[in-house]
Amino acid sequence: MIHLTRRALRTMKNSSALLSLILFAAAPQASAADGKLVIEAGKIVTLTGEVIEDGKIVIVDGRITAVGKDVDAPWDADVLDASDLVAYPGFVEAITSGGMDRSNENVDIAPFLDVRDSIDPVNVTFENYLRSGITTINVQQGSGCVIGARGHIVKPFGRTVEEMSVKPRAGMVLSASPKRGKSRATQAQALRGAFTGLKRYLEDTVAAAKAGDDYAKREAMYQGREPDEETMKGRDLDCSAWKVEGMKLVPRWEIDEKQAPLVSLVEGKIPAFIYCGGAMDVRVAIEIAESNGFLHKTTLVVSGDCDRAASWIAERGIPVIITGSLTRSEINEETDEMEDVFIPKAYADAGVRFALRSANSTTQSLAYQAARCVSHGMSREDAMRAISVTPAEILGVAKRVGTLTAGMDGNVVLYSADPFSVDGVVQRVVIEGEAVYDRATDSRVRHLEEGIAPDNTEQVDPRAREYAGDGEGDDGDAGEED
Amino acid sequence: MIAAVTLLTLSLPAAVAPAAGADKLVVFAERAFTAPGEVVEDALITIEGGKIASVKGGGRASGADLKAACVTAGLVDMSFRYSTNPNTVEQSSEVTAHARISSSLDLHARGWERALRQGITTVAAFPVDRNVIGGMGAVLKTGGEATLDARLVRGDAFLRGAMGSLPSSGNRPSGSRPANFYARRPTTRMGVEWEWRKAFYDAWQETQREEDDRPGRKELMSALSGETPVFIQAWATQDIRTAVFLAEEMAAEGMGTMRLVIDAAAEAWREPALLVRSKAAVCLPPLPAAGRTTDGAFMSMDTAAKLHEEGVPLALSAHSGYGSGETLAEQATYARRGGLPFDAALAAVTTVPATLMGVSDRVGTIAKGRDADLVLWNGTPFEFTTRPVGVVLEGATLVGGDTDR
Repeated sequence: MIHLTRRALRTMKNSSALLSLILFAAAPQASAADGKLVIEAGKIVTLTGEVIEDGKIVIVDGRITAVGKDVDAPWDADVLDASDLVAYPGFVEAITSGGMDRSNENVDIAPFLDVRDSIDPVNVTFENYLRSGITTINVQQGSGCVIGARGHIVKPFGRTVEEMSVKPRAGMVLSASPKRGKSRATQAQALRGAFTGLKRYLEDTVAAAKAGDDYAKREAMYQGREPDEETMKGRDLDCSAWKVEGMKLVPRWEIDEKQAPLVSLVEGKIPAFIYCGGAMDVRVAIEIAESNGFLHKTTLVVSGDCDRAASWIAERGIPVIITGSLTRSEINEETDEMEDVFIPKAYADAGVRFALRSANSTTQSLAYQAARCVSHGMSREDAMRAISVTPAEILGVAKRVGTLTAGMDGNVVLYSADPFSVDGVVQRVVIEGEAVYDRATDSRVRHLEEGIAPDNTEQVDPRAREYAGDGEGDDGDAGEED
Repeated sequence: MIAAVTLLTLSLPAAVAPAAGADKLVVFAERAFTAPGEVVEDALITIEGGKIASVKGGGRASGADLKAACVTAGLVDMSFRYSTNPNTVEQSSEVTAHARISSSLDLHARGWERALRQGITTVAAFPVDRNVIGGMGAVLKTGGEATLDARLVRGDAFLRGAMGSLPSSGNRPSGSRPANFYARRPTTRMGVEWEWRKAFYDAWQETQREEDDRPGRKELMSALSGETPVFIQAWATQDIRTAVFLAEEMAAEGMGTMRLVIDAAAEAWREPALLVRSKAAVCLPPLPAAGRTTDGAFMSMDTAAKLHEEGVPLALSAHSGYGSGETLAEQATYARRGGLPFDAALAAVTTVPATLMGVSDRVGTIAKGRDADLVLWNGTPFEFTTRPVGVVLEGATLVGGDTDR
């Protein structure tokens, strides 16, 4: 029996949510019930430079144990026959706010929030990810913030966030471009203010501890925080940019929960994703990250003309996630001629590592976005890397996802043909050894591709009722029903 | 294999410039798709005076001015919508058949060049959908000297109309709030249908009574007789039905047989038999994300393929990227992904729209005497991994720009 929360029941009234629920409930569950699966694929593209014809992928307890032509498989493993399909590692979405119930918190500085409370497992976004072969998704709050909530890396399968979880508290969003109601100047000041505020708070807390004030401790107890062996201790602040003397006096569990996530950030313990809407925001983003010691954990989420600052980003050695249009055209002010820029190539030429994002206006396919890089002269390998290995590195999960090699999570996408071609469609998806998607039983793909809606699920739009004649019987055709 | 690189090394400043070396230009392509179903291998296309002088197979790349993996005719977008601003539609009345888009075009707008850079060399311009009958559409080239003389291929190419909710959107009945201009008809689909019917009946009756010419009567009668095609927007099934039924009604009354081209017919896939019966052609809008598009219409990925199988004449459009940001070449690629055969995809962005607009004697194919409008591709067209890398417009070259947005 599927447990439904009140909100899930409410959203079920929305037919798309209902559809997704049907799909999720109907999808074959846990085909590798004993935890062992062998995929026999016509071709395996491991994305480590190796292509294996007629090979096997062995997955035990959710992890790949062997990939190759002549590998031993457990005698009792389930076999997935994919002899006419091509296997790729599941693709990685570097950042998205999809699948969240409203993606922006109105509070300027809100790192104490966690998107896990906002992820809706039955959101149709996750279903679309699955049928596009995207198996690892970094869900972060939107760009409408100064410092946003902590994000969560999930897989697009499961009925609760816990089931979907790949990595909790996986980074934090900051925005260098102004949120609604702010100018660029006030946005930058608010960002700087968050960190000077943190420093002042820590100094005040140390001063209070020196004076024997136990307010912080009482507050921590009041909030019901539970200390463990590690957090009972005070220790020096591990920030490379600035110091607070006497932090040993403050047990870590006593640090206010509104400030604690920022401490993790300046200590370089979690990744930062900084939104930049244009080249001028890049300077602010780098200044904030550099002056607070987390530049090495920073990824810029770029759009607009940020590529103008590509060489500057390259000097810092930090990667970018390209959002929005992959091309832009501008008018040369001197010659008045139109010039076009293919943005991924601009970053590649400057030596900046980049990840692509799936969303364009028509599809949610990382493969098509990568294919466009090929059309602009980049190599297939470089294009593939931007949707697999590079985003996995950015998210800090490169030891788990991004290639098909022993030791990685058992995330495999089985394509009918080359993912970059018009004939390539996702036929099967395996996540952590479970066969979770089969195109043959995907009722929504038939709706999207052939217009065949599942029975009783088509949205009833009162404006779209069909014309049934004018009642005067003077036009036989008009009165006809099909 | 000649890669994009070959072409890019030739790259001139990205602008339309006269071809190097006077009036003659020779283009080499490993494969020239001269018309749907026709391929010339190792083609040498000779251009003189802005027209194609000859097309020969089995040629050599050496000596050619431009080289590419593949070549097609310049693309044609008959629902280009160079401006979707409602202010481009005359709103003093809901029926302005006498209005001519050609008298209000801003030929210096950058949108034309963006289209050209995507490989679109010929487009239709028309009052989009703020009126029930917006006026007369024109066919233009997207580049060249910015004058109507230089760019106009055919004025008064079709009468533009719109069904559905859009011609009435923004209008409201006069009532509680102080009346302004938008307190006007029509306010519903019923009203849109009524205005359409009334316009043609009035024009027809006035003609029968030999009354004095009223602005627009001539244009409406030309459309009613089938002399000028009617390019009518209808996204949803119910609106496609309305457009067809109204044409059938007027034919049954002996008023004339319209030539219908249904624009933005997202839901045409639901009743292709209706379109076959009425001999209507279709111009599809850009493929939307998750199927839902304007007016609540649902467009499935195989819409183009289905219509093609049923034999409905089919054109594709990118609506100048409005709402989708994607190019006409990409729309053709999505149609291929939905099952449309290559030759039908090529036809849908070249010969079919050229024929529907009555300009196929000049554009849409690569043949002797046609306008020298070519798209140079860095591989087989309409794949996700290829794109237009060069454009020739009436013998002038545009090379080296990125061509998608």
